[in-house]
Amino acid sequence: MRKLKIPGTALALFIAASAGLAQPPPPGLVPFDDLNLFPRDKLSVEVNLEGGMLHLIAAAAKSDPDFSALVGGLQAIHVQVFPLKGVKAESIKPKIDHAVRWLEERGWKANVRVREQDQETFIYMKEQNGKIVGLTVLTFQPGEEAAVINIAGRIDPAQLGRLGQTLDLPQLEKVPTKGKKPH
Amino acid sequence: MNRIDDDLTCYDALELIEPFVDGDLEGAEAARLRSHLAGCHACAAELALAERIQRELRALPQLDCPPEIVERVRREGAQVLPFRSPVRPRGAGLPFRIAAAAALLALALWGGALFIRSQQRPRQPSAAEVARATQEARYALAYLGKVSRQASFDVRDDVLARRVVLPAAQSVSHTIGLSLDAAPEKPAPARDEQH
Repeated sequence: MRKLKIPGTALALFIAASAGLAQPPPPGLVPFDDLNLFPRDKLSVEVNLEGGMLHLIAAAAKSDPDFSALVGGLQAIHVQVFPLKGVKAESIKPKIDHAVRWLEERGWKANVRVREQDQETFIYMKEQNGKIVGLTVLTFQPGEEAAVINIAGRIDPAQLGRLGQTLDLPQLEKVPTKGKKPH
Repeated sequence: MNRIDDDLTCYDALELIEPFVDGDLEGAEAARLRSHLAGCHACAAELALAERIQRELRALPQLDCPPEIVERVRREGAQVLPFRSPVRPRGAGLPFRIAAAAALLALALWGGALFIRSQQRPRQPSAAEVARATQEARYALAYLGKVSRQASFDVRDDVLARRVVLPAAQSVSHTIGLSLDAAPEKPAPARDEQH
């Protein structure tokens, strides 16, 4: 049975190969499930797009080069919108504060903090090697809605801004109203 | 431990199973072993197990691994893993090797399954699903633009590029507002005085 003596190399090789299969999450990804911000069954909007689907979107949207290039560089887009009509703001505000702490403890930098009356908006960015790899927006408007948006991947602020300008209210009218499972 | 009426003990037989499976045993010894196995179910079971392990190990898929990983594992493994035990008591090796091979087989099957699963392509989404996802992505970016504008902040502008931390975008407008408030009223245009 000498041929059965698989050297330890092979064993270690298997372990190394197996370990190599597990890829870490993108550095700019915020795990919404861990943050437990809003009850998922009460979301008015939920968008979960990751990996392969984003590449397909980019490929399918070649006629819109800006949009295609931006989406092609992303690794994840997640959005959760929670309606606050008839909901006590006090029940959600601590969760927003918790999310802000969570982000700051993990190296996210606040680019914008806007507090206007009761409304709050935070825009956080994550950098790696001098490049922006994540963007997270938290917004809280009592009586209207609270939302969290996370975009992970290669982010070009100028490109994103251009699209943010062009994709305006007509796009928002096509709001997906049902929560969706991640793709 | 069985003692059969041949001159081979089970210890001896177990020692011979390994070269027997490999085809390395000479004719006379192979015949003695066969004779022993014919009357000893325990050793015959060991032989069956050894043959099965060998068969299944050979049937495993060949996995490609980047050469740099192979080299690194070899280098580090050579320092850590005791590949060969210098002294091993006679008869003690085979059960250990079978157990080790079985464990390795289980590990290999697990690793192989993991590898194969990772190689499996996910289901290709339909055109309708991609169209819907595109709409969702556009919506997400539009929503981002809306929130940014509401925060008096255009993501586009070089504000982001400069990474200015604005305690509040409104503070800028406040400052402007204050300066306007604080500015002295412009004197009314001089009127021609009546002479």
